[in-house]
This record gives sequence, C-alpha cells and structure tokens, in this order.
Amino acid sequence: MTEIEFLNWVRGPGFQMATIIFVAGIVIRIFEILLLGRKNNLAEAKGSEMSSGFKTILTRSVPDASTFKRSTFTIVAGYIFHIGLFVIIFFYAPHILLFKDVIGFGWPALPTPVVDAFAVITIIALLAVLVHRFNNKVLHYLTNFEDLLVWFVTIAPLVTGYIAFHRIGMTAPALLGLHILSVELLMVVFPFTKLMHAFTLFMSRWYNGAISGYRGVQS
Amino acid sequence: MSASLEKGINALKQQVDSTVASFFSSCVHCGMCAEACLFYTETGDPQRTPIYKTEPLRRIWKSEYTLFGRIGKMFGLTKAVDEKLLADWETLVYDSCTLCGRCSMVCPVGIDITLMIRKTREGLAAAGHAPEGLIGATKRAVTIGSPMGVKLPALKAQIAHVEKDTGLTIPLDVEGAEYMLLLSSMEIMNFPEFIEAVARIFKHAGVSWTISSEAFEATNSGIQIGVSDIAAELVQRIVDAAGKLKVKTVISPECGHAYMAIRWDGPNLVGKAFNFKVRHILEVLDELRKDGRLKTTGKEEQRLTYHDPCQIARRGGVIDQPRNLINMISDNFVEMPDTGKMNWCCGAGGGVSSNERADEVRLKVFQRKKDQLDEVMPDAIVSACSNCRIHLEDGLEAYHMDIPLLSLTETIAEHLAEK
Amino acid sequence: MNQITNDSKFKQVIQKLDFTQQREVAALFVEHVLPLSNDERLNRVVKVVRDSNASADELASALRSAKAVTLDSHTRCGSEGKWTDQAGYFVARAATAAATPEAQSKSGGPAWQAAMSSRMAQTSVFIDSEDETPVGTEWQYDILSNYLNS
Repeated sequence: MTEIEFLNWVRGPGFQMATIIFVAGIVIRIFEILLLGRKNNLAEAKGSEMSSGFKTILTRSVPDASTFKRSTFTIVAGYIFHIGLFVIIFFYAPHILLFKDVIGFGWPALPTPVVDAFAVITIIALLAVLVHRFNNKVLHYLTNFEDLLVWFVTIAPLVTGYIAFHRIGMTAPALLGLHILSVELLMVVFPFTKLMHAFTLFMSRWYNGAISGYRGVQS
Repeated sequence: MSASLEKGINALKQQVDSTVASFFSSCVHCGMCAEACLFYTETGDPQRTPIYKTEPLRRIWKSEYTLFGRIGKMFGLTKAVDEKLLADWETLVYDSCTLCGRCSMVCPVGIDITLMIRKTREGLAAAGHAPEGLIGATKRAVTIGSPMGVKLPALKAQIAHVEKDTGLTIPLDVEGAEYMLLLSSMEIMNFPEFIEAVARIFKHAGVSWTISSEAFEATNSGIQIGVSDIAAELVQRIVDAAGKLKVKTVISPECGHAYMAIRWDGPNLVGKAFNFKVRHILEVLDELRKDGRLKTTGKEEQRLTYHDPCQIARRGGVIDQPRNLINMISDNFVEMPDTGKMNWCCGAGGGVSSNERADEVRLKVFQRKKDQLDEVMPDAIVSACSNCRIHLEDGLEAYHMDIPLLSLTETIAEHLAEK
Repeated sequence: MNQITNDSKFKQVIQKLDFTQQREVAALFVEHVLPLSNDERLNRVVKVVRDSNASADELASALRSAKAVTLDSHTRCGSEGKWTDQAGYFVARAATAAATPEAQSKSGGPAWQAAMSSRMAQTSVFIDSEDETPVGTEWQYDILSNYLNS
C-alpha cells in the first residue's frame, strides 16, 4: 500500500468503521446502564435529588482542601492533561475543520503555537502520570492491562499528532495517516474501557449528588 | 458450584442497578478514594483501597450486566467470582470498612463507593463469609430482639432505676404519644444515663413520648452484616409498634448506624413508605430549641470540639443541629480540621467494633482521629453516638490521651434551666 | 442528724458536703459494691481515693486505672451482654466518679455519681438473677448517715 492509499483509507473506510464502533459502543454502554433502572426511594426526603445531582456534577470538579493536599499530584496532573486534551482536540484549526465537515459548523481556533505548547505540556503530564502509576503504592496495586492500554491509546494521538505537525521522521502523508489511525484506535477502544467515564461521569456524579441530596447533604 | 457460592452470586446480582452500573463504568483507577479512607491512610495497605473492596460486585456487574462483559465471559475473558474471592474479601469488606462514606465524597467521577461496599456485603453474607461476631449479633437481634441480648426485663430494670433517680415516670406503651423513642442496646447496657437525660429534657419541654415494650431496639444488625431480609424484619417490628401506639414520630437515639437503618433504609427495606416520621434525637432537640421549648442555663467552660458520627452527619444529613445545640451551652467550641460532612470516622461503626478480629486495625486507624485532636487540643469531645463514644475512649486510652467524651444529649440535660 | 429516708433528702445532704467529703463518701459507696467486680485494680483505686494523704499524681494514676477498667469491662457493641459482668463495668464507673477531680466532675458531684453507678451495678446483678426483688438503696442512706455522724 502506498502512503497515499494508506492516508485515503484511514480518512475513508477506516474513519467510518471507527465512528460506527465508537458511536454504537457508547450508545450500547449508556443504554445498558439506564435500562437497569433503580428503585424509587420511599424514605421521607430531606432535600431535592434533582438539584443536588446537578450541583454535584459541577462541585465534584473542585476537591476540598484536605483532599487536595493528600492527592495533589493526581489532581494537578489530571487537570493538566484533561485540559490539554480539550484544548488540542477542540481548538486546533485542522481539527475544527474536521468537526465542521462532520457536524456542519466550526468555531474560532487558538493560534497553532499555543496548541503546540499545550501538546508538549500534555505529553509530559501523561508521561508523569504513567510514572506515578508505578511509583505510587495504591496505583501500582490497582493498575491493570486496561489502564495501560487506555494510557497508550490516549498518548498515541498526541505524540503522532505532534510529530506529524513537526514532520519528524517520515513523509507528511505517512505521519498524518499514522496520526489519524491512532485516533481511530482510540475511538475503537473507547466504548470497551474506562474511557467511557467521559460520558458516565455525568451520570455517576448526578447519582451521587442525588443520593446524598435526598438525605440533605450536598456531596 | 457450591450452594453457598450460588447464594452469594445471586445476592450480588440482585444488587446491580443503574447506579452500580454507572459507577463501575466510571472508575478510572485514580486511587483518590484510598487517600480519603482512614483504613488506608493509617495502615498503608493498598488492598484497603475503597473501590478495590467492591471487586466481587464489579465482576458480577461486568460479566452479567454488560454486553461486552457477557461476550467476554463466553470466551473465558471475564474474571469470575469464586469461593476464594469471597473468602478473601471478608476482612476487606467487614474489618476494614465502617461504611463511613468519605470515599464517596471524594471520588472525582462521583462513585458512591460506600453504597457499593454495602451491596458487596450482601453477597458475602449470603455465602456465609461474614464475621462471627456479627453473625451472633444478628441471630440475637432476630430471636431476642437485641443484638446484645437485652430483653424487656433488663430494659425495665434500667427504667426503674432512672425513674427512682429522677422522680419521673418513663412512659411505656402509651398509645397516642407523639414520639416513640428507640434505644440502642449499647445505651441500655453502657450508658443508661442517656435514658435519664431524654426523660428530663422531655419533661422540661413538655414532650409527649413513649417507649414500646415490643420494639425498643434501635440497632439494626441486618444492615451491618448486609442481609436486607433480616434488616427488613427488624425494621418491620418498629413499624408495627409505631402503628400500634399510633405515634407521629419515631426517634432514633445516639447511635449512628441505627439512624441510617431506620431513617433512610427502613421504608425501602420493607417496601412501603412509613406513615410516621423518623428523626434523630438531635433533630428533635433542635426543633425544641427552635420552638423555644428547650431552655438551658450556664455554659461549659472547657474547650469543646465535636466528633461527627458518620451515619448521622455525612450519610444522614444531621450536621447543623448538633452545632446549634452545642452553641446553646458553650462559648468555647472549636471545630476539628476536616469537619461536618468531611469529618473522619472513629473507625468502629458498621460492625467493626463487634468484630474482635478487627481490634488491632481498629485501634491502629484511630491515629487519624488522634491527629485531628492533636490539632484542636480540646478539653472534651462531644459526640452523639454510643459506639463512637466508647471507641473514642478506647482509642484515647490506647494512645495515652486524657480527653473525656461527652454525649450531646446528656450535656444538654445537665444544663436544663428550671421551669 | 435526721435520718435520710429518700432520694431528695439524700441528694440535698450530699450537695451540702464539700468536695473532699463527697469524694470520701463516694469511695465508701464504691467499697460496698467492690465484690461485684472481679478486677483487682479497683481495690487499689479505692485505697488511693480513701487515702487523705494521696498526692495529685497518685490520684491521677488511680483515675486512669479506673477508666481503663471501665473500658475493659464494658460490653462491646453487638456482643452477647452478660449483666453480671456488666456490674463490674458500673463498679468501675463508680470508682471513676470517686477519683475524678473537681474540675471534671459531672453534675451532682462524685458522691451522687458514685451512688448512681453503684446502684446500677446492683441492678445489673439483679437483671441476671432469678430473684425478683431488686436491692434497695437504704444502704447508701445508711453509709451517708454514718459518715456524717462520725
């Protein structure tokens, strides 16, 4: 296969297949959660489930001082790479063009050097996170194959994107193809792994806030 | 598959609902729950990571309730729940967890880990992997009516004693009383002065109340061991008594898990909403304070702090009331660092103190409370749970600290104004 | 001194005593129920409390000892309660009340607290016994009267 054929494949059939698996997988996972349902709470309520649930979706993003002190690295590094990913995916001009193609509209981009800087910081943060996973007693104990796989499919698009932009090592089409392939890998792996937290965390935080709010405690 | 393992697996299956599925789908193995749990922070044992305690439940969810998990099971790719897993998890789920709820407050993706550990206990208990002490307590609760074997004559003897001391009558089986008080066996046996305190406060405030001779026990061992059927049976006794006496409100005494059991789990266990209210004694006292029916005199001179019993504060919602009450009788009250809904567990609730095998770890994790106290340096600690109270005293003694424990209800009673 | 025949008179008289006197009376109450406990340490506690020459350190040590016995003898949550053993717990509490210094003494003072706890010790034994009649409190009135008359 030539480079151009490779690039066309990942942009065409590859992307289509990945998208189908991505979307169908996510829908299946979310539905199989919701279909289980939960029983009505028959105890006398002290607070509102609804408002507490939604509040927790927001407040859970802000750890209390004591927790922050105990889990500083996890929180800071976590925020850095999440924010980094968000900025890179959604505010890089070529990505926005892709979104425009798929959903019909785009939005202003950040200057490329800024995105580039974010990419470097995010990659470093992810490397630090991996090291931490092995140095920290609890994390080492909990870490399994899935954690490592997810780490890999998350950092691969960043690294391949970075080297594609900077044209390191291979020709432009090959690098770009590799980058797109790595994203497709991420998309295909997504519904089968903890990456689902990107969607389910809203439900979980809501449930947590609802359960606690029912008892009059804002969690 | 052995019969007991099958029972355990079936019990776990019944526990899976949309909340459990959402929670397990969201865990990213960040480890923050460990840093919130005193059983990890004071022992450094990674097995005690809260989310890890739920592994049996997680495997059932994955292999039975997810499409990809079920497919994986067909190819032998999903981890199974076997006898060894359940046996190994007994000390994690019973000895190293009080269901305090701190992990649930801290998880960044919002998992209510405590709820899931509670559910995991159902599976272990059904398969026969619960601590001996709890099994005994539960048997006694079902057959005698009290986990500590306290029978009605014993309660009556304590009541007689209180009546003699105070000159008041403790109303037994009074139909149409507004409040029905429950008592924990811990209070009847170790702190009968609680009964006296309530009697004096209620006389002072003109409260119409009673105790039922048929259902006076507040402690719900079924909840602690994690067998919903037994928990439901124990709740039903209270429901029947409340119905018979036609009371408006049932009062849960100074015992943490009792409140959770009757106030929040109760109606869901018996499958029917109550036609009476349930209030913690502190809620009742605070209402009396608001209505101007509770008048106190004098202030405690000593420097006081408050230990929030987990099931009452973080898991129960009774956080402001104790503070309102303390402020009535103290101008020298200081909060612990990490207070209110983020306070640290005493380490003894949820069946841990009933389990002799857990004594060593229970005293070890007291270090967390000790560190809090070292920062505050109080003259006395106020709390509102008999188990917290005795365990804090136990811990303080083991660590050579000399700080008295005060029951909030009893302290209020000591400051009642003459009317 | 008028004979003390009921609790309100009993309480009145106790409250007229100064702290040292209350402590001495408390120790007498504890001594009376000591047989209901099988923890040797309490004997020492009573001895120290009754000793008018005991130093502050010795008293503090006695208090710690009494508190330790209280903790060791309580019935733990969920365990099978034996009231006869629980009597020992209340004896320890009476001893603790007797050894508590003035600043930390609970309402009513050490004598009243020790009186209540020692009654509880006797009630505990009664709960477990086949005997229907609970022990009366006259013995406490008698002890107090004798103390005042001596």
